Amino acid sequence: MRINRSENSIEGEFVVRKKWAFYCSTFLVCLLFFMAVFGPWLMPNDPHVPNMAAKLQGFSAQYPLGTDHLGRCVLSRLIEGARVSLFVAFIVLAATLSISMIVGLTAGYAGGWIDLVLMRICDILLAIPNFIFALVIVGALGAGMKNLVIAIVVVVWVGFARVIRNMVISLKETNYVVYAKICGVPTWKIILRHIVPFVFPQMLLLKLIGLGSTILMISELSFLGLGITPPTAEWGMMISESKTYLMTKPELMIIPGVMISLTVLIFNAFGDSLRDVLDPKST
Amino acid sequence: MLKKEYLFLVIMCVSLLLGACSDVTSSKSKEGNGTDKNTLTMSWPLDIGEANPHLYSPNEMFAQAMLYDPLVVYGTDGTISSGLAEKWDVTEDGKEYTFYLREGVLYSDGSKLTAENVKRNFETVIGNSLAHSWLEVVTIIDKVEALDELTVKVSLKEPYYPFLQELALIRPLRMLGDAGFPDSGNTVDGIKEPIGTGPWILKEADENHAVFIRNENYWGEKPPIEKVEVKYIADSQMRMMALEKGEIDLIFGSAQLMPSEFTTLQQNDKYVTKISDPLSTRILSLNTTYGVTKHKEVRLALQHALDRQTIIEHVLSGLEQEAHSLFAPGFPYSDIEIEKYNYDLKKAQQILDEAGWAMDEKTGIRSKDGEKLELLIAYNSSDQVHKAIYEYLQGAWKEIGVEVELVAEENQVYYARTKSGEYNIVMNDTWGAPYDPHMYLRTMLGEQQIGNYSLSGTDASGKLTEEITRVIRSTNEAERSSLYESIIQTIQQEAIFMPISYRQNYLVANDVFKTMTFSPQQFEVPTNLYEMK
Repeated sequence: MRINRSENSIEGEFVVRKKWAFYCSTFLVCLLFFMAVFGPWLMPNDPHVPNMAAKLQGFSAQYPLGTDHLGRCVLSRLIEGARVSLFVAFIVLAATLSISMIVGLTAGYAGGWIDLVLMRICDILLAIPNFIFALVIVGALGAGMKNLVIAIVVVVWVGFARVIRNMVISLKETNYVVYAKICGVPTWKIILRHIVPFVFPQMLLLKLIGLGSTILMISELSFLGLGITPPTAEWGMMISESKTYLMTKPELMIIPGVMISLTVLIFNAFGDSLRDVLDPKST
Repeated sequence: MLKKEYLFLVIMCVSLLLGACSDVTSSKSKEGNGTDKNTLTMSWPLDIGEANPHLYSPNEMFAQAMLYDPLVVYGTDGTISSGLAEKWDVTEDGKEYTFYLREGVLYSDGSKLTAENVKRNFETVIGNSLAHSWLEVVTIIDKVEALDELTVKVSLKEPYYPFLQELALIRPLRMLGDAGFPDSGNTVDGIKEPIGTGPWILKEADENHAVFIRNENYWGEKPPIEKVEVKYIADSQMRMMALEKGEIDLIFGSAQLMPSEFTTLQQNDKYVTKISDPLSTRILSLNTTYGVTKHKEVRLALQHALDRQTIIEHVLSGLEQEAHSLFAPGFPYSDIEIEKYNYDLKKAQQILDEAGWAMDEKTGIRSKDGEKLELLIAYNSSDQVHKAIYEYLQGAWKEIGVEVELVAEENQVYYARTKSGEYNIVMNDTWGAPYDPHMYLRTMLGEQQIGNYSLSGTDASGKLTEEITRVIRSTNEAERSSLYESIIQTIQQEAIFMPISYRQNYLVANDVFKTMTFSPQQFEVPTNLYEMK
């Protein structure tokens, strides 16, 4: 029976499995978003109010995941952490996408010395280790959500700008662009009509795949005390706060740790499967 | 693609785990364990540096104190006793000190301690005045003379009553043997070898550990233990694990363990723990030149809204004693009657209401003439204890309509902020013995100092400045007492500092010691007094 199976059906099985992965990760991503958007209604307690009388409690009906060292509800803080991580991650996504689009399109389409200057700037920025560069920026500007976004955007846009620029250069040589040029279509129209529609979806996809690492970076900086500022809760910050209770109450550290890993995995899986589904040729 | 990533994750986790373990396990196999009867093994977060007696960081104070001796020693009750100088005379005007050195004191290289050598040490430190400009004991010295083989005369520019007290400091005025000086003669360029007269001799030091052996020629009482090994372990959890495995026998000092970590170990019968007397005061310093804390009524209200008990019990794990006065009783000139500000939220609200800070029902924040009652509190991003205290205050003060904005900053940025005075409140511990109380108060006059930002915006700033200047120059004991009393009381009335608790040192050890003690200087580990079972 098996021998008779054609190549096609194996490929079909593979596609089904990929689809399954896609549905699954999409569902989980939606779940995360649901948690973030409806957070304020899902939280059992106020995540900011310290209640010293109830500190370091175990799981209970009032505090489903226990309380931290200041007696704040861990579940509520976890939900707020999801809100913060996703919110920051998507602002970063929007900001990097627009900056790298502008730089990439300008450099790629204009060419010449503009290309040269912009790409050398990119080279310089790419030469600096990502995380350390972000650390320096936040260190200099001070912690806080705004500065965190600035630091991550400054670090991440470079790579994407390079990719876009290369795509634009190859698109510029295609026949329909050359034809449009000959017909006298204005430059801005060529870019908007004939180049951006090809570049944008691919970029969005790339960014979605990179979302996991952005979330990780937010947590890393907050872990070092340089990301989100109190009283807002953030997963990395929760881990660093519970370091001292590693021996007595390890779950304080494990819960946000698991959340970070899960979220990053979900977004990686989502990005991967999304690419497979949209572009079956590349595997 | 997916598989690859998972594999990568697993490998990462495993290698991280291995990496975390390797440090400790490798040192264990190399050095053997710490159960040797005559070896004290302890952890330290940083390496000891060059152990240059005349310079500051990165030289670690505990190591400097082990290797070098001062002329006079600061005792537990604040008294000064003899060190390298057996006795000393002070002239009536308080400007000339004559020190008679102990006879037969030997450096670790066998050379003798002489008046010429002491003079050389003094002059080297004075020559490097820029580094020591903050330290009166150095800047006040006019000249040093060697009168004979063992007599040194130090003349001061002006009388300075805490002179002897500051001579006892761990740095910079301790004595280095002649052979230890570099070729240039100036210890700023580094030292050749750490040659001192102290109870210990540095035998070896590398990036992982330092080994001290007993100085068999020590002039004082020789340490009962033969060898001290210091292992550098940067992380507190790693230190606790090393203690559990017996790789180290002692974790000394509040710098190495957070209060909650200490209490965790305290509950374990396996370990012996000890807590010292008050060493310094944990205080919140209010900036009277910035924002809402310019107003005295706001400062008074905050004083009444500070719940010390809750902070001590829950954030500091009940380890420290409640503080109301700037300096703990027991410090020189510090047994002073003051009017306490008791925790009373109603009173705090009443003060604010009467002063016209009206509550905005919508936001829950008070304001007056368009100015919001908002406090900017900055802290060092790596300090978890400060963060926890502030987070608690942020929640608690919201109830009386005070909004707290917390700003976490990298150490250098935080330091720059305290220098520029852009904050309402920062944590600013007093300096402990032998600096308290005179040095802490004196720095309040220095520009860009935290203490100065607390002082200069008050109505009593002129009076305080005048009194602090006078008290240091005073040679009359009774006058000093009354001046200190007046200063401390004025500070209390102006409500510019909020003492929270008296900080104590603590230690955790495996059950191998017969005696363990603390030193009045908080950064000193008195290993020469430790005895093994």
